Amino acid sequence: MSVRYGLLSLLAEAPAHGYQLKTAFERRTGGSWAINIGQVYTTLQRLERDGLVSALPTDGDRNDYRITASGAVALETWFATPVVAEAPARDELTIKVLLAVAAGDVDVTNLIQRQRRASVEQLQAYTRRKAQADPQQDIAFLILLDALIFRTEAEIRWLDACEARIAQLTRTAKEPS
Amino acid sequence: MTLVQLEGAARSFGTGHTQVVALHPTTLAVDAGELVAIMGPSGSGKTTLLSLVGGLDRASGGRVLVEGTDLATLKPHELAILRRRTVGYVFQDLNLLAGLTARENVSLPLELDGMPVARAQAEALDALASVGLAELGDRFPDDLSGGEQQRVAIARALVGARRILLADEPTGALDSMTGESVMRLLRVHCDGGGTAILVTHDAAHAAWADRVVFLRDGRVVDEARPAPNPELATLATAAPAAPAAPAAPA
Repeated sequence: MSVRYGLLSLLAEAPAHGYQLKTAFERRTGGSWAINIGQVYTTLQRLERDGLVSALPTDGDRNDYRITASGAVALETWFATPVVAEAPARDELTIKVLLAVAAGDVDVTNLIQRQRRASVEQLQAYTRRKAQADPQQDIAFLILLDALIFRTEAEIRWLDACEARIAQLTRTAKEPS
Repeated sequence: MTLVQLEGAARSFGTGHTQVVALHPTTLAVDAGELVAIMGPSGSGKTTLLSLVGGLDRASGGRVLVEGTDLATLKPHELAILRRRTVGYVFQDLNLLAGLTARENVSLPLELDGMPVARAQAEALDALASVGLAELGDRFPDDLSGGEQQRVAIARALVGARRILLADEPTGALDSMTGESVMRLLRVHCDGGGTAILVTHDAAHAAWADRVVFLRDGRVVDEARPAPNPELATLATAAPAAPAAPAAPA
């Protein structure tokens, strides 16, 4: 989905051919997303089929593409639409903790701490890269790192909350009725 | 070189069945150049540990060594000198004196230590410059933003070339970018051969540390160090500097 709009946003600035689009896309996404040239051409063909881009008359072996009026509208709509998370959380960690809590014989406290350590270590690695990056030059990379950092931080906060909830439950269970 | 060392250091209150243990015997060594973060739920012993290192509280067992000196051997006035010359403290509530300018706040610990005022003020300016506030020395705390006030507090903690910085939730009241600028200062201090021990509940700020020590119920239960991250290494090489337009218009 994002490759499609990524190419559209690049073509909105100036016509370009496939290889230029590939390198510009990778640069703008902070190097987080390597796409192969085949994928670029497949996407361009679909965009052309849908009337969102058109191929310029070729002057040799390569095709330059430009955005059409309806392509510009589609791009504007995409930028204007908030992204909503798709499905309820079904990631492995959430499920693992849920199953561990339900199982009763799994040491959930240790499971949570092992995960917290791993997540903090990941966060330390991201932060080292952030400390080395040049705020004037590496803006795409820094914004990407912020995204990774905040997601990892959210995971750690969630682990803290899990631990607090389980501790509360244990305390309540120990209190005489 | 080890600047801070806990050898089975413990802190408890009361005796027998009324005894409350704030910190079980704990061993920890922090070297010059190291930034160590302490994380853990409330009541896990984080602040107790920091107070023992800063000489604000005495260990009830084991030893606490700061730059090689066993704090238990120091008399109260010697501890006070240690707090003025060797160890700097930064708290969440900054404790800047409202009636003094930024520069006067920073020079105060030196003047209390008997340094001539002119020299103390010059050192204070250097310390303010090191946290990027050289121009704001004559402002009063109320005329500074929260982030600037915290930087003044850090300058005050480091003035006079103190190498050991103890920070208790120093980013607690700050937004994330301002908090990050505070963490960058701690990092610079440590990269320059100093040491900082940071107590925080904020993982993103703890992640600036070389080591993250986890406390629970008064015990060190775990420790994190930066993960090797080959995936991230590729990322950087794939991210060239300047953004460029895809092509010139035809």
